[in-house]
Amino acid sequence: MAYDPRRVNTGSTTPQTPPPPPPPPTDMNSGQAPSSSTDWKLKFCTVCASNNNRSMEAHLRLSSAPTGFPVISFGTGSLVRLPGPSITQPNVYSFNTTSYNQMYEELQSKDERLYRNNGILNMLDRNRNLKWGPERFQDWVPGVPRLDHLSKGDKGALGTEGGVVDVIITCEERCWDAVVDDLMNKGAALNRPVHVFNVDIKDNHEEALVGGKAILDLANRLNDAATAQRALHGNNGWENGAGAARKSFDEQVPEILAEWQELNPSLPALWTLAWL
Amino acid sequence: MAQSTEVAQLNAARNLVLGDAALYPQIVNGILPIVGANAKPELRRWGADFLAETFASPVLGTAQKEQLAPGVLQAIRDILLLPETDTAVLQSLVQCVASLYPLVFRHIINHPEDSNSWEIMNTIKHDILRRMDTFPCPVKICCAKFLQRVVQVQTPSHVADPRRPDQNETSLAIVPRNHPLLAIPHLEAESSGLLDRLLDVFQVEICDPLLVNATLNCLAPLIRTRQSISNKIINAILEFYPSKHVRPPFTPTVRVSVKSMERTARAVLVNMLKKNPSHPMLGKIQLYIERLMQSRLEAPDESSRKRALPNEPVDGLDHAKRPLSYSQLFTLTQDAALSSFDVKQLPPDLVVKITVPLLAQVNQSLLTQAIDAVRTRYQTVTKEQNQMRLQQQAAAGGEDDDDYEPEYQPMEGADNTSDVASVIAAEAPDVQPDLVSLGPFVLPQPPPMSEEEAGEVGRSAVARVFSMINIAETAPSASKGKSQQHPGFTRLAGSNFDRDAWVLLLTRLATRAPAGLEGGDKLGKGKQTPISDSIRETLYRYILEDFRGRLTIGITWLNEEWYNDRVQMKAAAAARDQGDDEEPSVATHYDTWVSRLLDGILPYLDGRDIKVLVRFLSEIPEVTIPITQRVASLAKDPERVNLCVQALMYLIMFRPPAREMCLNTLEDVYQTYEEARPAAGKVLAKWRPQAIRPADSAPAPQPEAQTSATAA
Repeated sequence: MAYDPRRVNTGSTTPQTPPPPPPPPTDMNSGQAPSSSTDWKLKFCTVCASNNNRSMEAHLRLSSAPTGFPVISFGTGSLVRLPGPSITQPNVYSFNTTSYNQMYEELQSKDERLYRNNGILNMLDRNRNLKWGPERFQDWVPGVPRLDHLSKGDKGALGTEGGVVDVIITCEERCWDAVVDDLMNKGAALNRPVHVFNVDIKDNHEEALVGGKAILDLANRLNDAATAQRALHGNNGWENGAGAARKSFDEQVPEILAEWQELNPSLPALWTLAWL
Repeated sequence: MAQSTEVAQLNAARNLVLGDAALYPQIVNGILPIVGANAKPELRRWGADFLAETFASPVLGTAQKEQLAPGVLQAIRDILLLPETDTAVLQSLVQCVASLYPLVFRHIINHPEDSNSWEIMNTIKHDILRRMDTFPCPVKICCAKFLQRVVQVQTPSHVADPRRPDQNETSLAIVPRNHPLLAIPHLEAESSGLLDRLLDVFQVEICDPLLVNATLNCLAPLIRTRQSISNKIINAILEFYPSKHVRPPFTPTVRVSVKSMERTARAVLVNMLKKNPSHPMLGKIQLYIERLMQSRLEAPDESSRKRALPNEPVDGLDHAKRPLSYSQLFTLTQDAALSSFDVKQLPPDLVVKITVPLLAQVNQSLLTQAIDAVRTRYQTVTKEQNQMRLQQQAAAGGEDDDDYEPEYQPMEGADNTSDVASVIAAEAPDVQPDLVSLGPFVLPQPPPMSEEEAGEVGRSAVARVFSMINIAETAPSASKGKSQQHPGFTRLAGSNFDRDAWVLLLTRLATRAPAGLEGGDKLGKGKQTPISDSIRETLYRYILEDFRGRLTIGITWLNEEWYNDRVQMKAAAAARDQGDDEEPSVATHYDTWVSRLLDGILPYLDGRDIKVLVRFLSEIPEVTIPITQRVASLAKDPERVNLCVQALMYLIMFRPPAREMCLNTLEDVYQTYEEARPAAGKVLAKWRPQAIRPADSAPAPQPEAQTSATAA
């Protein structure tokens, strides 16, 4: 995949913002029993080019939110590319087989000062506390159980054991294109609908923070609508039958996005309903 | 509501099969009674979800799914015929059925005797198709996917290897012609009808964006793997323009929907073209995609386009704020035809051919004028733009806090900025004519200099050149020694910028530069010291300051003076031959200045300066009587008698043209000064013995020799 020129801006101007420590969700597994009808939540997937900056910031936000969304994350690039000492010397790693920890240690030994100052080490440190390593979207086989991610302690893994999600949020238009295209190539074998959003975020740490917050806002809005729909026909409302008066969650999606977009005009959004 | 224990147990069971797919048959058969038609809604939901997950799972083999399918069908039919109304349950069940359909179809191909399963499958299918239009939206979406699955199964696919049916995709192509349950023509006809129903979403007047997107996104496998229907599908998409299928008002929601459908339609076609870049409908598809992108622009939603331009570009190169184009800025000619000519029309090589010779001939002062004119113009424009920007910022008030603030919502908010833009647009024409009419700037001629001023300037220039000599003098003259090693005609005067070069420059400036001009001085003579004389005067003083060290300079100078006199006299003689009435007068300088210089030097010579004097006398171009007389005057001083005699003796010995003149002078000295007699007598005894008469004090002047003695 082409080098992303916007990464140039991530050079020296990167603020020293350490990622907020994710709240310890360790008790959730043992304390509360696995998901029940009341615990039902939308399952999310965040996607950017290298599964490092934007998608991981969103991964952090969604998994550490009070709601504690189930979330997995991917990159659509051919390789993981991190800024190097110059534009023409990116640090390149392969997806799925390189851990964030490996990258962290390699870059730390290469030039700790450079990678500390441009925020790369902070980013990788955040990432290695979230999950093992960057995953490539095109290599993802939806429906393959992800129990190992749960046992490895990946944040947001709880609820994604089945290897499926309800919502995919990409952080760049070409990632959205790649995701929609790849889902078509995968053949939609699961017959399971998935809403694919794009929230256009510039690839730098500051914008990733802003974008991550906005993505969490969008996720909350979507989840509220979906939960409300389930409650309508839930245990209490069941006998009332299908309430035509109330729109379903899926029908509300364009409205929710339009509302959200008005609040976040600097993050142009896109959406479609695709299939896993 | 608290979680029920059943669900907790079921979740535990699910975790088991997620960890080990081999447990699926056991668990599926185990849960079916618990989550069946009579179970609580909560459990039915769980059951439907689990069944959908099971038959979609990529880790459970097709063969195992096929075995499980018939048993599950019954349960699903029972739930559907309840009739089930819970959206979540229906959603999952329809998903599950979509996964089941190819499995059951394949099962029936291989097990024609299992008519029961096929019957149940058909019941379910027809129930879903019948209720599809009345289902709530989320279920309807899944029904569309189910339709796609049925069409995919009931349309023949390309058969890779007929001998190995297991390897082939489940489709009509692998159904035996004589199958008792599966009548191919019937299935094909049904499939065709279902495809029409699927594609019907593109035809309705007011389309449902969810259903359209859901349909578009599931069409790719059909286009790719079902040749017989791919063109029909593509044509259906190509006739679908989302913006024509929505109803005003164009709320943000509608805009999101239209954009979404357009992008999805494009994505399907792009996906297809990637797989088949030489598709026969390529041109048509590209045209459609272009039109889609265009209609997006035309649609009343400028806002939802990707990343609107930032309001305030940092570099100030915004077109709205640039009343002048580059051509306007740089065009200096007033010729309308010329300024409207677009140079870009010329081929680059031609431009190069024209430009390079043109550049070589550019008049430097014209170029400077042009650059100054453009610079002034640019500064004016920049100033005005800055003022405009300040005004705009003042007008926009606090809204411009954020640098990166694309205008997403223009319905209300954009009025503000468009007002500003129109203000700028209105102001721009006022600015333009004034700037464009600014012609080339001509620097006024300076007032003519008076003669005094000119002389002043000339003298100061000369003073500067003299200062160069002083600077060069201090530098070690390494090059001097070098040039002395290569003397002769190959040496180019003044070629290396040492002291000699500057001296040569000065002497020639003094002698040759005004040559020929001085003739005209007759009319206004004496008014002003000519520049050449002031140089001579300066040179003279300069040499006298240190005559021993600077004698070479003096000799050089005097040589130049003498040569110049000769040239002038020759020119005057030529003019006289041509019959010029007026006798041309030639101002000669050599005699004057050689006398002055010698007069200046002589008082300071002492008895040991013989080398200086001899060198001077031998190297000056011409020895004249006034010179020898001045040398003779040295004999007045008893201490310098030897100096005088030796100098004359040197000239007698080594400068034959001056010999007679010098002998006369020496004889004169011999007669006049008592102290000179011993030394002079020795010389005369050798060269003119007749001049020595013992006890004879009467000198014998030789007037004829004196008058003729001019030697070069």
